[in-house]
Amino acid sequence: MSIVELRDVHKVYQLGKTQVPAVRGVSLQIDVGDFVSITGPSGSGKSTILNMIGCIDTPTQGEVYIQGQCTSGLKDRQLTVLRHRTLGFIFQSFNLIPVLNVLENIEFPLLLGKPIMDSGAKKDWLEYLVEAVGLHEHIRHRPSELSGGQRQRVAIARALVTKPHIVLADEPTANLDSKTGQSIVELMHKMNEELNTTFIFSTHDPSIVSMAHHVIPLLDGQVVSQP
Amino acid sequence: MRTVLKTAVRSVFRQKRRSLLLAGAIAFGMLMITLMNGFTEGMLTNVRDNLSHALGGHVFVSGQEITETGRVVSRIDFDDRLQTLLETNSAEIASITRRSQTFGTVVFGSRQSAQMLYGVDFQAEERLRTSVAVTAGSLEAVMEDDQAIALPDSLAQRLGVELGETVLIRLDTVTGQRNVGEFWVRAFIEDQAELGMSAAFGHRAYVNTLLNLPSDSYQSLNLFLHDLFAADKMADQFRDVLPLRPVGEDGDDQAAAFGFGPFGQQQAPEPWDGIRFTIATINDIMEPIEAVVLVLDRLSLGVFAVLLVIIVVGITNTFRMIVLERTKEIGTMRALGMQRPTVRRIFLAEAAFLGLFGGVVGLGLALGAMTVVSRLTVAEPGLQFFLAQGRFTFQLVPQVVLLHFAILTFVCLASAYWPARSAADLPPIKALGGHL
Ligand SMILES: Nc1ncnc2c1ncn2[C@@H]1O[C@H](COP(=O)(O)OP(=O)(O)O)[C@@H](O)[C@H]1O
Ligand SMILES: [Mg+2]
Repeated sequence: MSIVELRDVHKVYQLGKTQVPAVRGVSLQIDVGDFVSITGPSGSGKSTILNMIGCIDTPTQGEVYIQGQCTSGLKDRQLTVLRHRTLGFIFQSFNLIPVLNVLENIEFPLLLGKPIMDSGAKKDWLEYLVEAVGLHEHIRHRPSELSGGQRQRVAIARALVTKPHIVLADEPTANLDSKTGQSIVELMHKMNEELNTTFIFSTHDPSIVSMAHHVIPLLDGQVVSQP
Repeated sequence: MRTVLKTAVRSVFRQKRRSLLLAGAIAFGMLMITLMNGFTEGMLTNVRDNLSHALGGHVFVSGQEITETGRVVSRIDFDDRLQTLLETNSAEIASITRRSQTFGTVVFGSRQSAQMLYGVDFQAEERLRTSVAVTAGSLEAVMEDDQAIALPDSLAQRLGVELGETVLIRLDTVTGQRNVGEFWVRAFIEDQAELGMSAAFGHRAYVNTLLNLPSDSYQSLNLFLHDLFAADKMADQFRDVLPLRPVGEDGDDQAAAFGFGPFGQQQAPEPWDGIRFTIATINDIMEPIEAVVLVLDRLSLGVFAVLLVIIVVGITNTFRMIVLERTKEIGTMRALGMQRPTVRRIFLAEAAFLGLFGGVVGLGLALGAMTVVSRLTVAEPGLQFFLAQGRFTFQLVPQVVLLHFAILTFVCLASAYWPARSAADLPPIKALGGHL
């Protein structure tokens, strides 16, 4: 069974009096453990689709299914719980909480909602993540003391901390130089393999696209039929 | 909850200058109201103490009789009921004074001056012996001779009288005849004029003779209590037991109780038989002063209110700005699974922390200022009435301080509420700026 499914999803933005169709009838399925890249030129609807999968935006028409659950009609509170339990997020500009240090940033999602592991398991898990993203020497640092690549590593650990089934990343390398960007996607790939977490990320960088298991090419809000 | 507090407290220190400004305003509000309240409370206590010292008691009992000719005469002879009252309340009474008093004219050579004269029982009035500041001679010397007298310094200077000399005092007896007594000057005492009191002290037995009263009668009975706040209760008890003098239209019965009124001159509004008592307490005379203090308190409350308004405006604006600044963070936290109420709580906790912090600092500053000011000695005679031993004293009522804390915190919370709500209500996608 696919872990993410979009059925004829449309998204129309209202821009003043004009309607901007950002996504025009996209249907797709993504399987558990996949490492998928959504590609396409700027304005093709990558972000819009990721937002809808991420339950921070809703389709104008059509349905989004996460682990078989239809997200339409869910209340804000339920969507928030769904995001917290099932989804992890990696942001374009890292979005770490500036007042928290590295370890606290990674731990942050665990402090929301009901506890999902006991403190012993939590300690081991955090240690594993810190080690996995290679930041054990920086756990007491504030985000402002880190480089872009390091910040994104923190973000990757944070996205994984609740053991989500799906991690979403909208152009996670957009604010990094190409070499660092490459290493970030490599790290994502490593975690994908180690934890079997489904990764869905967007990019328009061909060298990164090549690392994906599957590619969903977008153009003008529609999936381009693959050659 | 821990996350909320941690994030909130640390956020306060993000923009130190801005937080400092807000906390400063809050601290200033707390400082003002605490200082003002502490000052007025302390002043009230001092005035009460000084007054009871000047008036010689906390509860004042006077007795009046009507003579055959229809004159009202201030006079208390031995009275069973009064004696029983004093005995049953003896645990609460610190000391008792029984005095006669009159306004007389002190004559020395060609000079003369009007003067309040107390006839006291020096043996019984230990408090008087210890509290009066003697500038020349001694009270022991006064106690040796029945006709001896202690005169206020200022009077002695006006008359040019020296220790050991003799003065004449012209006065009216209770029955209205003129009389003159010869007094031997044995002590000068510090003028208590700044307390509104300047009195000469002679022996009650001798003063009574001049007033045409039996030597062991007296005109007023003053009680010092251990706890002056028990004064009203005790006065009520006395009023329940003793026959009271009918209340005159002009209220001079109360003045009579303090020994202020015109003595023995007034006509009774409706005649009575035997002795009638008038009972007053220090609180009765404190009423107008308390009214002034109330006005002061209201004023400081007004200033506090104005400061609160400034704080409200400041916090509301600042938090609006903070919400704008942290929009992306709010979006991030929401995406990561933070529920709306938690977002709201983070901002409210930040405001509460600011309020508490400012409040504590303000209170600390107020306590510091009080300590410094209360160390200064003020010589200004006109102020002595409000001071204790020449010093300002401050008194804080813990409940009131707590109340001010609560008000401050509440105001901070209320001002941050709408910005906090708008932060919580931001749709995550908007807060994030359209993309993850
Ligand atoms: N909030 C919005 N209001 C109006 N138009 C929008 C909004 N967000 C995106 N769009 C439009 O929708 C289309 C798709 O945008 P987006 O999903 O951001 O594409 P991509 O991420 O591939 O660059 C673009 O034409 C963009 O201008
Ligand atoms: Mg985009």
